[in-house]
Amino acid sequence: MDAASRPAVVIDNGTGYTKMGFAGNVEPCFIIPTVVSVNESFLGQSAAQGKGGWLAHHNAGVMADLDFFIGDEALARSHASDTYTLSYPIRHGQVENWDTMERFWQQCIFNYLRCDPEDHYFLMTESPLTAPENREYTGEIMFETFNVPGLYIAVQAVLALAAGYTASKCEMTGVVVDAGDGVTHVVPVADGYVMGSSIKSIPIAGRDITTFVQQLLRERGEPVPPEDSFDVARRIKEAYGYTCADIVKEFNKHDREPAKYVKQWTGTNTKTGSSYSCDIGYERFLAPEVFFSPEIYSSDFTVPLPEVVDKCIQSSPIDTRRALYKNIVLSGGSTLFKDFQRRLQRDIKKIADTRTIASDIRNGGELKSQAVDVNVVGHPMQRFAVWFGGSVLASTPEFYTACHTKAEYEEYGPSICRTNPVFRGMF
Amino acid sequence: MILMHPQARALMQILLNRVRVLEKPQELDFHLVEFDDVRYHIQAFLKEPHFVTLSIALPPRPPETVFSGGLPFGAIEGVRATFGTAIQIVEPPEVGYNLTIKLDLTKLPEDEGDRLQLLSKISSLRAVVLGAPLREILKHLATKTVSPDADRLVSLMHRPKESCYLLPQPEKVTVVFPMRFKDNNDIILATAFLQEFMEAGRTAGLKNAPPCLWSPNPPMELKGAPTHAFEANSGFVTFVIFPRHVDGGKLDRVVWSLSTFYAYVSYHIKCSKAFMHTRMRRRVETLIQVLNRAKPDTQKEKKTAQGRSFKRLV
Repeated sequence: MDAASRPAVVIDNGTGYTKMGFAGNVEPCFIIPTVVSVNESFLGQSAAQGKGGWLAHHNAGVMADLDFFIGDEALARSHASDTYTLSYPIRHGQVENWDTMERFWQQCIFNYLRCDPEDHYFLMTESPLTAPENREYTGEIMFETFNVPGLYIAVQAVLALAAGYTASKCEMTGVVVDAGDGVTHVVPVADGYVMGSSIKSIPIAGRDITTFVQQLLRERGEPVPPEDSFDVARRIKEAYGYTCADIVKEFNKHDREPAKYVKQWTGTNTKTGSSYSCDIGYERFLAPEVFFSPEIYSSDFTVPLPEVVDKCIQSSPIDTRRALYKNIVLSGGSTLFKDFQRRLQRDIKKIADTRTIASDIRNGGELKSQAVDVNVVGHPMQRFAVWFGGSVLASTPEFYTACHTKAEYEEYGPSICRTNPVFRGMF
Repeated sequence: MILMHPQARALMQILLNRVRVLEKPQELDFHLVEFDDVRYHIQAFLKEPHFVTLSIALPPRPPETVFSGGLPFGAIEGVRATFGTAIQIVEPPEVGYNLTIKLDLTKLPEDEGDRLQLLSKISSLRAVVLGAPLREILKHLATKTVSPDADRLVSLMHRPKESCYLLPQPEKVTVVFPMRFKDNNDIILATAFLQEFMEAGRTAGLKNAPPCLWSPNPPMELKGAPTHAFEANSGFVTFVIFPRHVDGGKLDRVVWSLSTFYAYVSYHIKCSKAFMHTRMRRRVETLIQVLNRAKPDTQKEKKTAQGRSFKRLV
């Protein structure tokens, strides 16, 4: 059987979570935290110790080579004992630690998906600002270590667009607002091509929102044990967060009817096992508000998300702008807040309309310009939109022709992975 | 992870998720592929949300192995014996698949532990189906009864279109794996790995393990095998299994380890490559450090507080 007759493996490595599964499925098989716990206890022993000396040290190192865990297991192990140290191979959307990344992939393939990498084509993803060298490196690992027959490295934003198109129509022009765990990108795409010069990135993403919630809880003096507080903050954010239309009105509402809006959280201390409970108040709507008024969280970056999206579209080629306004696609876990889509659409529309009116006045009322159609699209797969788009694209027959094959790799070297062609399935 | 787990993690995850959201029924449809071309299709419909059907497709079999009804010899009996009344076997199986079973999620055991155990058994369906003929032979060995095909070379499906060979005898069973790898580097690594594997088996701590032999030439046991059995690019591995290796509860583990031997070797080749890369990266880093240390110190330009330098433009 030929590798092209089997479904491709789609792995989307995000800063926070990795989504993996087989192409053609609706959902990924696994969504696990991108984290590796490595046993580094052997490193502490000095080589001269004991009778075995160098050899014993070497053997310990060799044995520890397979002694590591990934995902939720890794987190559990590192809580339970001190022998394992956690390592996050991806930071801000970029692979930082290739050693642990390679091991992470190894476990993904052999332990989680349990497939033979020589049998499947692979679709990997990368964030839009990744350097070509990183793509080469990914290619090297996939072809050299795992002997994959074919590899395609897709830009996450393009896949997020592809996820939307099955629902309505084949639209490969749009702005993708990708707010994940590590970094938020606003990426304009026209006909499947990313406009690199207009990409805007925001240093605020899921993890910052969690930190913000954590900070609010701490300042209010909620009895959350410090070692669990980050995790609790994350859960509170995921379960209770929502986007409000007007922050002042929302504060009033909370103050008038605290019984209706203030929620309770009960948990148990992981160390002592005693239970505690805390209130969840303003942070419910303040958490997503970080995107719309970032000054409440950081003083370094104060441009609200709608303005960034607008700037991004304004810096794109003029003939694509209307199409871009019409198709603003959300992807990533941090866009899952209730009514996030509506709020973003309203704010962008306001900016666009103000500009239209201003230009009408400048023209002296002679020429009336047509109102800009702003449309923010969310879809049911928003949480793993990138993976889903990858699954859709990798199940088209053109995918296999667009892949870089092992033969090509051996002929030309890793530089072929620098560029990945836009293929017909994308239109 | 050193050995492959008999449970398919993905299947287990899907089943567990399904049990958790049983009150809010959704369509479920997953196609999965595992090593050695075993394919699964797991499905549940909105009409009967508590029924889950799981189909398994086996790789194309080599011509010399015997199948009955599209399944390895004794597979149906094995499935019945392992799962009992927990599942139903659907006849005929789904088109394109070899076996379809149906699971009623409302009839799972109440106890959390029992339920997990049953689900993990179901997700190791592959081990039950593909391991059935091997289990049959080893069972005869454990009870020291003479199996019907004693002293005759038996071929069992091992990988797609490849088989391993067994020589059952009353007091021992010899298993021969011809090892074939596709990639040139893999062949070399595999040869080294298998030699090392054989050496490691001789150390004092592993006296009770089954004796293992690796040789580049086909062993004598293969006499009478079809000619393509002798084509192997990474040599032949022979295990001799004695009754003490399969008594008690060890039978299932031995069957699983033997039937995934190829996957085991190929997994460890990939691991050792990753390990070598790690060491290469570390070496590069130290070499770069050495280079950085060797850089001549450049004269740093001294500047005044105003940012002007003392150097005069001539």
